[in-house]
Amino acid sequence: MSKVNTDFYKKDIKPIAIFSIVLLTLPFWFEYIGGYKGLDTKIVIWIIFAIGFDLLLGYMGFLSFGHAAFFGTSAYATGLMLLHFSDNIIPAMLVGIASAIAMAFIIGFLTLKRTGIYFSILTLAFGEMLHSMVLSTLQNWTGGDNGLTGLQSPMLMGMKMDGELMYYFTVIIAIVAYYVARRIIRSPFGLMLVAIKSNQVRLEYTGVNVARYKLMGFVISAVYAGLAGSLMVVYEPYVASEFLSWHLSGHVVIMTVLGGVGTLVGPMVGVGFMLYFENVLSVYMGEQWMLVLGLIFMLTVIFLPGGFMQLFGKMKSIFTGGK
Amino acid sequence: MVNSIFLQFLTGMQLGAIYVMISLGLALIFGTLGVVNFAHGAMFMLAAYFGVIISESLGWGAAIFLVPAIMFAIGLAMERGLIRYFYTRPHTDQILVTFGLAIVVQELLKWQFGANNLPFATPDWGTGITRLHDYLPFLEGFVAYPKWRLIVTAVSLITVAALFALLQFTTFGLVVRAGMRDPEMLRLLGVNITQRFSIVFAIGVMIAGIAGVFGGPVTQVDPAIGMVFLVPSFLVVVIGGMGSLPGTVLASFIIGLAISFTATIPALANIIIYVIAIGILLFRPRGLMGQKGVME
Repeated sequence: MSKVNTDFYKKDIKPIAIFSIVLLTLPFWFEYIGGYKGLDTKIVIWIIFAIGFDLLLGYMGFLSFGHAAFFGTSAYATGLMLLHFSDNIIPAMLVGIASAIAMAFIIGFLTLKRTGIYFSILTLAFGEMLHSMVLSTLQNWTGGDNGLTGLQSPMLMGMKMDGELMYYFTVIIAIVAYYVARRIIRSPFGLMLVAIKSNQVRLEYTGVNVARYKLMGFVISAVYAGLAGSLMVVYEPYVASEFLSWHLSGHVVIMTVLGGVGTLVGPMVGVGFMLYFENVLSVYMGEQWMLVLGLIFMLTVIFLPGGFMQLFGKMKSIFTGGK
Repeated sequence: MVNSIFLQFLTGMQLGAIYVMISLGLALIFGTLGVVNFAHGAMFMLAAYFGVIISESLGWGAAIFLVPAIMFAIGLAMERGLIRYFYTRPHTDQILVTFGLAIVVQELLKWQFGANNLPFATPDWGTGITRLHDYLPFLEGFVAYPKWRLIVTAVSLITVAALFALLQFTTFGLVVRAGMRDPEMLRLLGVNITQRFSIVFAIGVMIAGIAGVFGGPVTQVDPAIGMVFLVPSFLVVVIGGMGSLPGTVLASFIIGLAISFTATIPALANIIIYVIAIGILLFRPRGLMGQKGVME
């Protein structure tokens, strides 16, 4: 038994160490590849978002088109806390994540009962519902189209959260998030999620309460989205109504699929690629960067369902002679 | 009082008329091919752009016939060239590839025509108002309504009737309906169902095309409009019952009327469709006219 356990930890140490080293050293070499200050923090925040999304799509097999709902809800809750309660980020972020969890229970309850197709359609719809609520129904609280502006600088234990401090704060959260995700997918619970993906009905017949596992998987994924949304507000500090729109949900879908679903590492590569593409490479193609990205995305879905990770695997097998 | 209720009714019907033309295609494609087409809104949008271009260069008469024909061809090409390869792939892949296509279409249009609303003028014979009080004695005083909106509603109703007639009274329709129920059996009987289904796909896209060319002047013509109409159309299909075409028609007009009658309270009008959808999901998950056991 103990042998199994040490294996367990060994398997985790290497990827986590590599992940940590890359992120911790990123600010030192990022500028040499055309990146700029601030983009690195954004990348790490999106990585957290994409890890959670991959747990849902890659492991449980549910394609959500409304993940902006949790990112945005948490962002608005965090923003409102910073605006009206205090500039301390701890209570603000906790309330943000709690609101994302609450929203996940509601939307999950409504959308998870049925098949995967329903799920994709309905998550898109409920995401758009929150977006239009923020723009019209609740605009007295949310600032409508303008979003929440005029937030004071967020503070953590008397320190202003910006620049390097913000970056390393985000990186530490990302490392923990990645570690937790790796533990989840190798836990019995993670196995359940994979079982849901491969055959929900059969799992149900073995007496497993599938609905509960689906809801839990969905909520966990929403926690990651909420964490990312909350961090984004602390980083900006500003809440855009765009945080709730389908564009944002679409972005995380594109990133995760481009990188390779069900690998955890793939979505991170996808995040890096897309944000780098959007902010650095887009200089060479102007307004059409999204068109190019859309084409890349389509080609990936058609020819490389496993995303970049599949491509890396293929290249590796070519170089090592197919072994 | 009678007047305002009647006008709201007309507006609701007109809104429903556009929804029904988009959602019917969605429901038809889903019911036959089992594919959720996330690019369906983009097809509607593409047709609206074609409508603007053709009506300006060749005139409205040409636009009315050419746009649906072009959309039929595009639908056929899309099914033959792309969707066909995804029948054996997981549903998520189908959704992803159509979503990618939607983005590509949207970005292409944005690139070519800019992000702003294109003006889309109605033809001479469709411009102006109809004096409804001349025809309807129960209206009090002077009641006018834009002529084009009445035309849109009428075209939509005719399209819906034609589609149902096609499915109900022709051999083609019989095969398609049978294929929706039990494709396996039909294949065993030696019917080339794949070919029929690609025509169905093209018809679905064509109806969205009719919606685009007639609805374009009423809605907006900008690169975001595809997604704006896709979301309610999905909800229409869910509310009506997935796989049920009559349910889709019913739900379209219910949604149109609900939006129109709540229009005086914008805070409610913007979310009424979601409220109805939540109600349906909670109390009648298979939709208004969804059959038990079908696509539940």
